[in-house]
Amino acid sequence: MAPHSPGTDQIDTLLKIGFIAATILVIAVNAALFFAVRRFRSERGAAPRQLLGSRGLQFRVGALLTVFATLLFILGVVFTDKARETPSTGDAGLASAKSEPLTVKIKATGQQWLWRYDYPNGAFSYYKLVVPFDTAVELELLSTDVVHTWNVNDLAPKADAVPGKTHKIVFSADQEGDFEGDSSTLSGQSYASMRTKVEVVSPEEYKSFIQTQKSEIEAAQDRVVGLIEEGKVP
Amino acid sequence: MSPSRPELVAEGYHVSRRPRWAELATTADHKELGQVLICSALGFLFVAAVELVLMRLQLLVPENTFLSPVGFNRMLSLYGATSIFLFALPFALGFFYYVAPLQIGARGTALPRLGQTGVALYIAGATVLYATFLFTPSEAGINPLAPLSETAFLSNNGVDAWAVGTGLATLGFVFLAINLVSTLRMMRAPGMAWRRLPVFAWAATVSSWLLIVIGPILLAALTMLMIDRNYEGIFFADGSGGAPLLWQHLSWIFFTGTYMLLLIFAFGTIAEIVATFSRKPLFNRNVVMASLATVAVLGTLAWMQNMLTAPIGIGWQYFAMLMSLALLVPFGLILFNLIATLVGGTLRTRAPVLFAIGAISMISIGLAAELEQSLVAAAWHLHNTTAATAATHFALIGAAVLGGFAALYYWFPKMTGKTLGESLGRISFWTILAGLLIGFLPLFFAGDDQGQVVDAYNYFDSADVTAYNVISSIGVLILFVGILLTILNAIFSRTNGPAAGHDPWAGDTLEWFTLSPPEPHNFDVLPDVRSPRPLRDIREAIGHRTRREQAAARESQPVR
Repeated sequence: MAPHSPGTDQIDTLLKIGFIAATILVIAVNAALFFAVRRFRSERGAAPRQLLGSRGLQFRVGALLTVFATLLFILGVVFTDKARETPSTGDAGLASAKSEPLTVKIKATGQQWLWRYDYPNGAFSYYKLVVPFDTAVELELLSTDVVHTWNVNDLAPKADAVPGKTHKIVFSADQEGDFEGDSSTLSGQSYASMRTKVEVVSPEEYKSFIQTQKSEIEAAQDRVVGLIEEGKVP
Repeated sequence: MSPSRPELVAEGYHVSRRPRWAELATTADHKELGQVLICSALGFLFVAAVELVLMRLQLLVPENTFLSPVGFNRMLSLYGATSIFLFALPFALGFFYYVAPLQIGARGTALPRLGQTGVALYIAGATVLYATFLFTPSEAGINPLAPLSETAFLSNNGVDAWAVGTGLATLGFVFLAINLVSTLRMMRAPGMAWRRLPVFAWAATVSSWLLIVIGPILLAALTMLMIDRNYEGIFFADGSGGAPLLWQHLSWIFFTGTYMLLLIFAFGTIAEIVATFSRKPLFNRNVVMASLATVAVLGTLAWMQNMLTAPIGIGWQYFAMLMSLALLVPFGLILFNLIATLVGGTLRTRAPVLFAIGAISMISIGLAAELEQSLVAAAWHLHNTTAATAATHFALIGAAVLGGFAALYYWFPKMTGKTLGESLGRISFWTILAGLLIGFLPLFFAGDDQGQVVDAYNYFDSADVTAYNVISSIGVLILFVGILLTILNAIFSRTNGPAAGHDPWAGDTLEWFTLSPPEPHNFDVLPDVRSPRPLRDIREAIGHRTRREQAAARESQPVR
């Protein structure tokens, strides 16, 4: 994972914390197991000590585990809250997003087996999502059929698009370029090819992209209407 | 109520005049039914392993065309249903059903015909599920999330068959659980107070209660799904009053509870084996028993840990994380006490011990990885990646295969009067361990670093996960060979194994007091139970008496 937004930075940190905690636990259990098995093999003439238990030891181990779990819970809440924060639009970002946060609201609609993106000006695109660099983007996830999971690891948290529910996530990309993504909930036959791509571009390119997209869609619409009115099948 | 005092039993009391299959089909004896469950479960373990191997062969190289997308989804759905409903649950329940009544000194079960019906329902469920090969298996995945499982998206009757098959089996398991709870409550031998109950019998109690709670929840969900599919219901349809998320809540309560049940089964087994083979009492017995019960409650309450990317409130997500992390305490205490039991003991490393120790080790990896995945924001990266698959497989193969095989090697002499082959058992153990590690450790990296998604029938070379997948496929093949070795060992040893006495391991609990295999009525006589280790008390008493007699004999020698 190569995080490229403030939110995924936090996710990455929490992943590292979780990985360290898990590693400590695995090593502790397996080292103790290994030494206990090695040390206490049966020997001729040795009699086992009939130890029943130790309340003091038990309290100490329980307390240690409780402290460990509490610490992890606190870290989990802190970093999750940070990852959920709406990022602020930077100087290089879209100018209009600076005065009024979250002006870039994009709808992502999952359908078997394609993602559709609707931009604030009415333009839309399939498969590829174009967003401005260093700008807070709110993605509203919807589904028209089954459950899909929008998953662009490096930019944003994974989130489900569930029919009948809206699910909002925010992110702000700190690097221009292409980010590959996919869908990570089994959605039927062509699930494996339900991929997506996020193109992070400069604010100017973003503005021109949605403008061009809009006018091209309108042109296509006019052409279809014209053809039908002329009596031709488009 | 069965008589609990010694009684006279005529010689040749049980003379079978019917063929073996007719005996098995009509018996209500818990030992016969337990063996039916265990044998069928081993058969389905083989089938599930074949399905896993086929899926891994498809994922051996990028963009492979060995299986079609639909074929892969069918294999995936069958694999999930087979491994959970037809292997893991009946395997654990089979041992509970066979061993727990013996351990408490019962001469049978409280509701034998209910248990018989339960086993019949399980067989019926398995038949329905595999009859789908004649038409179309389900394509909806391991947990068929609505609305994909609705008729609008999967109109053939594969999902219906899945729902009927798993539903029949689950109903059967609930029947078995009700019988176990009644038996453990009502038919304990004189002196067998709850505090003296063997840990495995306690695990059976906790698991049965858990199943009685979670089983009907799945049955309700399946009924709603069937109404949706066949009678124009709207339970899981969006809009018009339905909610797709409802299915996720109900099914995840069941699946999470099942996960906990399998771990409770494994820990109960391991506790018996570790204590017996190091000739020691279980360290902090009461704490282990309380922890097993706590795991059942907290673990099931953590069901939303599977839904951390779903549109549910952040408060619920923190609740799921809290429950998952709280599990660290009971699981940690159980593991600590199992390992502490070894301390000061004299461990005989026979095959059951190897499997038990291996199970502890593999379960620890699975649980630690689950811990990382329960941190909410971490789940936003790891959820539905192969890292999650790997964590589940470490915990559940650790519990149901390694833990289950530990139980098999430990109780096989009691069931058949023969011991399982020791050297083949050792080879099988190391092969399974190697297969599990090689097969699933790479998936942690593929999921964590590259975010490879689960359940997809292929992947692309550009995703940099090819090497991980090649290694993983090889590992799963090794795992398959290891599992096959123990199954073959069991088939071979059933008739040709070295004869075992009534108590081959010097066990401390009552099942070793009776013959191997036990008579239909289990016990001719029962000792009074005065501690959790009644058989050790007897051995000690005999030792004391022998020493006293020897001393008396010495004293009575004339002085020369």
